[in-house]
Amino acid sequence: MTLKKSSILGIQNLVIQFTLRGRILTAIRGISLDLYKGESLAIVGESGSGKSVLMKSIMGLLDKNGRIKQGQIIYNAQDLGKFTTEQEWLGIRGKEIAMVTQDPMTSLNPLKTIGKQIEECVVMHQGLRGKEAYAETLKLLTDVGITDVQKRYKQYPHEFSGGMRQRIVIAIAIACKPNILICDEPTTALDVTIQAQILQLLKNLQQKYGLTIVYITHDLGVVAKVADRIAVMYAGDVIEVGETHEIFFHSKHPYTWALISSLPQLGSKGEQLYSIKGTPPNLFQEIKGDAFAPRNPYALKIDFIERPPFFQVSDTHYVRTWLLDPLAPKVEPPAALQAFFAEGRQYAND
Amino acid sequence: MLQYIGKRLLQSVLTLFIIITIVFSLLRLMPEEGYLGAAADKMSPAQQEIYLTSLGLRDPILVQLGNFYKNLLQGDLGKSVTYRTDVPVVTIIADKITYSLLFGLGAVGLSLLIGVPLGIMMAYRKGRWLDRLGTGYIVFVVAVPAAVYYLVIQMYITELFQLPMLFDEYRPITWILPLTSMALAPTASYAMWMRRYMVDELNKDYIKLARAKGVKERTLMFKHVLRNAFIPMAQYLPATILFTITGSIYIESLYSIPGMGGLLVDAIQRQDNTIVQGLVLVFSSLGIIGLILGDIAMALVDPRIKLGKGGGVR
Repeated sequence: MTLKKSSILGIQNLVIQFTLRGRILTAIRGISLDLYKGESLAIVGESGSGKSVLMKSIMGLLDKNGRIKQGQIIYNAQDLGKFTTEQEWLGIRGKEIAMVTQDPMTSLNPLKTIGKQIEECVVMHQGLRGKEAYAETLKLLTDVGITDVQKRYKQYPHEFSGGMRQRIVIAIAIACKPNILICDEPTTALDVTIQAQILQLLKNLQQKYGLTIVYITHDLGVVAKVADRIAVMYAGDVIEVGETHEIFFHSKHPYTWALISSLPQLGSKGEQLYSIKGTPPNLFQEIKGDAFAPRNPYALKIDFIERPPFFQVSDTHYVRTWLLDPLAPKVEPPAALQAFFAEGRQYAND
Repeated sequence: MLQYIGKRLLQSVLTLFIIITIVFSLLRLMPEEGYLGAAADKMSPAQQEIYLTSLGLRDPILVQLGNFYKNLLQGDLGKSVTYRTDVPVVTIIADKITYSLLFGLGAVGLSLLIGVPLGIMMAYRKGRWLDRLGTGYIVFVVAVPAAVYYLVIQMYITELFQLPMLFDEYRPITWILPLTSMALAPTASYAMWMRRYMVDELNKDYIKLARAKGVKERTLMFKHVLRNAFIPMAQYLPATILFTITGSIYIESLYSIPGMGGLLVDAIQRQDNTIVQGLVLVFSSLGIIGLILGDIAMALVDPRIKLGKGGGVR
């Protein structure tokens, strides 16, 4: 992939395997992906596609039975994939790469005041002590949109609502002054009105602190609001990556088509919502060819034999499907989707 | 907080009152020979009648109950008839409880000192050799009847370490075996609960967030996990401590310790109603105090528990 912007984190040919009761599960199957400084990258895909595993591996938080089989995660000229000791990871976790977790209701320690939980980070990563740390904590609370901060500092998590708690989780993440912020389904546990507020907050903080944000989500609605680029994952592999409008309105991979067709907004009233037939492949077995082929109505013979390479569509848009091979028959996306594409492109041109 | 404690105390006094009244009434239904003790054979029916009247047993039951409570408030639990004739029950219990208290506290102290850190280390090094060793120990203590390993201790350990078997107040070395025997089971249970609660906490989401923000594993264990795991422990600790104090019948008879453990069984067999009453009072008070202390301890460590108007509701 071209480096138009400067890459802050580079994943190269990453393979991650888990050992489960003597059997080997390959969760990540050779991913290469660059993260550019200051961008918002959304990683989308269904459950079990490996989104979370990928992000956990970046922070060294894989479960004990998981390991990086091959490939590299390059950050700051270091290969994070080679890290083994806690000491090495402590230099990265929080300090360089921080995380906003999924469920704010359970992500905070119920027995510590939220002030102390944020301050722990401030002390650890900014080296402030005493009054300075306290002042910084209050500033962070203000930054994430909490009022009456002195009183709130002394309160416990159970005294906050879900949206407020997510703000505090975000405050903890940015208290570490990280370069990269990983948001693992940041809005899934929140109700819709709060979702928009939290996404706006993240956007504001991104500008203020110069963060690079990775959103992990399966909610395309969220993606559309916040992402600059999208990487679509299927069965442990990135199958299409491009700028947001490219994925939404120019996508080339049948799986991405299916994903977008599944948006409830695209269905018409009275009709059944679209769903992708079949189930994702069994990751315990070695996958031959294109992982999506068995569920793919456009599958070619070669899809079952050889794994497709990345085909470049534009400077920023790459797709892993044999359909883009010069020898492949020309295939158009489903009619409903074509209408959506046309509408979207027109809207973008306006 | 004070209001909460006051309320709980008041409730407890009421509970205690009900328990004692029930026990008192039940004991009045028992045969009257118990009050005569060994002297029963030597007395004529008329003499027996006079003696029982002098004890106040011919009064209406409510009057008896009233008298009992009046004396109780003055710290008088009546006199033993059979056990040590004419010695106040309070003195008898006080004599015995000293031994049980010493052994009980010693054993609890020992098992807390070993069991809690053991549980912590087992959780910290889950799945490693220490955890397996500890689990083996816990399973052994729970699965094998206490009598078996007590006997093993008596048969082999005494010889192996040349330790005296029977308890002698004035030889400190004789304290070792009873104390360790008594501490074996509580050590296992403290270790088991501590490990279990720690592992529970370790699997929670806030631990993941704490790891992600860069907290060291060791700091995580001691600053985040330990305190949270201690909450469920805090509730039950006082009660288990107090129950250990009431003495172990088996251990005390095994090492001939003149403690309280055997007293209740003895007193019931001899039908010494005044001692039974007194002991029930002591046992139930200890149990109730244990529960109150547990609740207070839990309220102190867990900020989620709000006290006062809403009651102690989580």
